[in-house]
Amino acid sequence: MIDLVLEALDVNALIERINLNAVLARVELNDLLRRVDLNEALDQVDLNQVLDRVDLNQALDRVDMDRLVARLDIDKLIARVDINEIAGRIDIEALVKNTDLGAVMVSSSTSLVTEAVDLGRSHAVSLDDTLARWVSRLRRNHKGRAGPPGLVSPEEEP
Amino acid sequence: MTGPADAGLPAPAPGSGPARRVPLTTRQNLRGHYAGFASRFIAFVFDCAISIGVFELALGAASFAASVLVGTSIHWNRGNIWVVLAFFAWQFFYYAYFWTASGKTPGMVLLGVQVVGAEGGHAGTRRGLIRALAFPLSFIVAGLGFAGILLGRDRRALHDVIAGTAVVYCWDAREARLRSLARHGGTRRS
Repeated sequence: MIDLVLEALDVNALIERINLNAVLARVELNDLLRRVDLNEALDQVDLNQVLDRVDLNQALDRVDMDRLVARLDIDKLIARVDINEIAGRIDIEALVKNTDLGAVMVSSSTSLVTEAVDLGRSHAVSLDDTLARWVSRLRRNHKGRAGPPGLVSPEEEP
Repeated sequence: MTGPADAGLPAPAPGSGPARRVPLTTRQNLRGHYAGFASRFIAFVFDCAISIGVFELALGAASFAASVLVGTSIHWNRGNIWVVLAFFAWQFFYYAYFWTASGKTPGMVLLGVQVVGAEGGHAGTRRGLIRALAFPLSFIVAGLGFAGILLGRDRRALHDVIAGTAVVYCWDAREARLRSLARHGGTRRS
């Protein structure tokens, strides 16, 4: 009987005649939403499929990165980083192989004689500087050249 | 010892800038910069000690050889003209040999300084020989020939000007600093 009625009815025409806004105005949406289990609804959603349909590049283009970064508390962020863990991940062998660090480490293991020579030379350079400073004062900020043109680049000149 | 260089600022070449303290081991690589008076003077003192020591040893060895071979030992009189001439000849040979060969006497090796051509290249045989010949001239008139090291723009002594040479640092101060840091860092860790 119901089937017969439904077949006789033009459902589309009926829907067109219904004022949906008026119907919706009579619906207590909050009450309805309270009765809906959103978790259950979300469980049924395939988020991967949704994300596949989102153009992330387009979304990112609309993001003001400078403003975003300005809102970040970098100190707080760094405080949460485990530096020791990062340091542990560094390939020291590759670092030594690819940089001058190896040469420095080899040099650092040299004898006490090297240390004494370095110290002596450093003191002599300090004395050189002191003497040059005195002369500079006597000669009213007279400035000499740093070194021969073939050995010292113009940038190093005072 | 602390200074601006320890605060990350490059230290100036000695005498090339305004007054600043140079740390024990400077952050700057001094290689190629004109060497100062103190480094050169200390190197010279070492060279004097070495060359005079070797000369004395040679005299002693000659005296010993004479006593063994002839049976009579020779007592060298330091005022003897031949001894004086031999001494000056030896001094000339000592400096000329090292300056022409590598630009570095043993004392200069110790202090990390080197003789180069005025433009910065290898001093060479001719300039090395002229420098050794002109070297005594710098001592004349109360050592005024050395005043150029302190007062001159290129820190050159009279014999440098005559020979067309200059003296520069040839050691890497920055590397020495890193060595020192690594050494002391290692000591602290162990």
